[in-house]
Amino acid sequence: MAETHHESGGSSADFDLSQFYQIFFEEAGENLDLMEQMLLGLNLETADDEVLNGIFRCAHSVKGGAATFGFSDVAELTHQMESLLDKLRRHELKPNALMVDVLLESADASRGLLACHQSGNVGQGPATANLVSRIRSFVAGEVPPAAEVKPPEAPKVAPVVTPAVLSPAPVSSGGLRHLEIRFTKLDQPTQADAIVELFRDIPGLGEIKPIAVNGGAADRRVFEVQTTSSNEDLLDLFAFHVSREHVDIVDMPAPGGQEVSNDGVVAPGVSQVGIAPPAADASQQGFGFFDGAPGSPQPQGAEAAPVAAALADVGVAKAVQSAAKPPAISNAQPEAATIRVAINKVDQLINLVGELVITQAMLAQNSRALDPAVYQQLLTGLTDLDRNTRDLQESVMSIRMIPMSIVFSRFPRMLRDLASKLGKKVDFVTQGEATELDKGLVEKITDPLTHLVRNSCDHGIESPQDRVRAGKPETGTITLSASHQGGSIVIEVRDDGKGMSRQKILTKARERGLDVSDQMSDAEVWQLIFAPGFSTADVVTDVSGRGVGMDVVKRNIASLNGTVEIESSEGYGMKVSVRLPLTLAIMDGMSVGVGNEVYILPLSSVVESFQVKSDTVSTVGQGAQLVKVRDEYMPVIELEKVFQVPRYDSDKTSDIMVVIEADSSRVVLLVDELLGQQQVVVKNLESNYRKVPNVSGATILGDGKVALILDTGALVRRSRH
Amino acid sequence: MEKVGDESSTKVCEYLTFRLDREEYGIDILKVQEIRGYEPPTRIANAPSFIKGVVNLRGTIVPIVDMRLKFNCANAQYDSFTVVIILNLHQRIVGIVVDSVSDVMGLVPDQMRGAPDIESIIDSDSIIGLGSLGERMLILLDIEKLMSGLDMGLIAEAS
Repeated sequence: MAETHHESGGSSADFDLSQFYQIFFEEAGENLDLMEQMLLGLNLETADDEVLNGIFRCAHSVKGGAATFGFSDVAELTHQMESLLDKLRRHELKPNALMVDVLLESADASRGLLACHQSGNVGQGPATANLVSRIRSFVAGEVPPAAEVKPPEAPKVAPVVTPAVLSPAPVSSGGLRHLEIRFTKLDQPTQADAIVELFRDIPGLGEIKPIAVNGGAADRRVFEVQTTSSNEDLLDLFAFHVSREHVDIVDMPAPGGQEVSNDGVVAPGVSQVGIAPPAADASQQGFGFFDGAPGSPQPQGAEAAPVAAALADVGVAKAVQSAAKPPAISNAQPEAATIRVAINKVDQLINLVGELVITQAMLAQNSRALDPAVYQQLLTGLTDLDRNTRDLQESVMSIRMIPMSIVFSRFPRMLRDLASKLGKKVDFVTQGEATELDKGLVEKITDPLTHLVRNSCDHGIESPQDRVRAGKPETGTITLSASHQGGSIVIEVRDDGKGMSRQKILTKARERGLDVSDQMSDAEVWQLIFAPGFSTADVVTDVSGRGVGMDVVKRNIASLNGTVEIESSEGYGMKVSVRLPLTLAIMDGMSVGVGNEVYILPLSSVVESFQVKSDTVSTVGQGAQLVKVRDEYMPVIELEKVFQVPRYDSDKTSDIMVVIEADSSRVVLLVDELLGQQQVVVKNLESNYRKVPNVSGATILGDGKVALILDTGALVRRSRH
Repeated sequence: MEKVGDESSTKVCEYLTFRLDREEYGIDILKVQEIRGYEPPTRIANAPSFIKGVVNLRGTIVPIVDMRLKFNCANAQYDSFTVVIILNLHQRIVGIVVDSVSDVMGLVPDQMRGAPDIESIIDSDSIIGLGSLGERMLILLDIEKLMSGLDMGLIAEAS
């Protein structure tokens, strides 16, 4: 039944993310478009909180996705945007036109970078260093001097390659500076290592090489840097990781004849190819983490090496040839492997096919009386029609239904990267991957689930040392499971981490001026974390802690008519259950007859069924009925009474009992007959009517009639009262 | 620029007229999605008697309201001539059972009278007015208001 899938966070999981790239690119594109629309519609004087939150969420989603897939340049830029937007929505800064400008440019740049990643040409996207530093100065509360606000840096996918850059003749290093950067008196020397990543992440910033420090001073790091940026720009960039007073920038004499010209034109991809001096350096830069990712550093490094070699050995002609290749590739439009279709078109298709099936069934029924000898051709045609309709129905249904494994398989890789980044050890377990879910739901549930899993890893699971100290195994476990329960799909994210602290949440809530009291039940306290901007994290990281996640989670799930429940036990972990209604999910159903009516029971909740004589039912008190099933007394529910089924044939009584289980208790339903098992498509009753007690939905039977699907959870609860 | 002659014609409202017992009603034609024959719906337990149940309309589950029962008509028979008008109201689809559908009428403002204050099972808010066509009297219903009324039980009460 439920498959269990283990994915160790520490081991090297060769897991293919590429199937999700397309989805990410599409989602990110949509988010950027939405953000642009909202930015343009933003009223600077009376900025609407809702709009600011919306813009922020867009940036957050893009960042989250980009980080998951290892597009660190996009993640870095959007992280900066997010920081600025966070200040805006907290009203710590007032939005102005300049900010909107820079945010719009950043959105363009992100789009350009994404397009490059999509076409596999890393480093050809627009330079972001300037944007990043401008946003930072906004965040810091400064208004950048007008001179610094440069014209937008051509947010084009393929920057024009200037022949000068390709020229192999060593020209004096115009604008390219050689620097020695010293980081001193660091609290944590690893902070400086982030600088190396910065150079790697920001195309066009330049090259960095660590220089070994004599004397083994642990609080020092020295790097040799080639860059075109000014000291001020560099300091701005570093300020994010290392404060200014710890940085010392010294000009170095240019090492002769190694570098190829870079005339300072913003053409990052090409300039990197041009600079990359020793081939070994280039391969060092490719960490090999994102093998196979479009635009991963590795292929770029590999490409850079032959180009550099060609420049040195063969000469102009060949160099121009090989360097001219990347732009040609980027001109080709990335071909879409999927198309996005409005859900209502698919729904319409499904409905039409449903009608076709019914018409076909009617024809088949009417043709049975025909003499095969006379109507042979007609009957052959009808048989073909039968087969074709069935095939058509199957393929149309399969458009919408996809297994949860599609969602789940996104996570092992993300968790692995996240765990190693946070220095934690995490095992990832998934259950119920075969549970099928409507495509529309899958798309909408992925983001909230990502947030939940990230939260579990970042806030839930403790560091290995803390875990050992708490007497737990060093490796934490995050479990993701999906199942059908009582007419809903329940997706659970469990971790065995430190759980939530009731006291901490209450304190935070008071700080934020929320109306809370110590008498609140645990469940109410946990609900507080869904308030916008609420975070108990002490440190804001780029993983989580801004307090945006849970607010989005709640909102997204509520928009699907779902609910989120939290159970937590401090020190032992927590469980977040997302319960979604079945809007359109296929369910295995058992059809039962009561009087002349047909009802569907979810097969998953049916335990057994048997025939009884009426004398085996005993009554208690006011007539509550009990039946003894293998030494266990279970309450009996007569469907006939619950649904007031009219009886035309007074002799007939219900004598079949079906034991159902829901919410971990069992009741017995009394029905007339068992009609069969079939897959049914769950339809919503509420879209045109209203909620009906004890009914979770409806379905359409083979003959076109509507049958109600029983809500076993409600029936079980009914027996308790 | 409208011509003077067109002015009155632009105000013509078209109504689908149907019969319940001996009364004739009109509803805005734009609210009508289609007209179908009656097929026995799936009964819903504990629903008011005038809600006959739900039917499958090309994959959509649609509730069926018998207007004859709602308006307390003397008899409500279901035969091969019984007609269901499928209405599309605010993205919600509902079917109403009537005795017969007569035709589509265009009414100009001159032909419309205000509804007098009368005691009736129909909430007077749901009556737009009366249409006078010679001898015939049309009761013009605001079907949207009528159907969304709480007493119809079609939508859940706000909790």
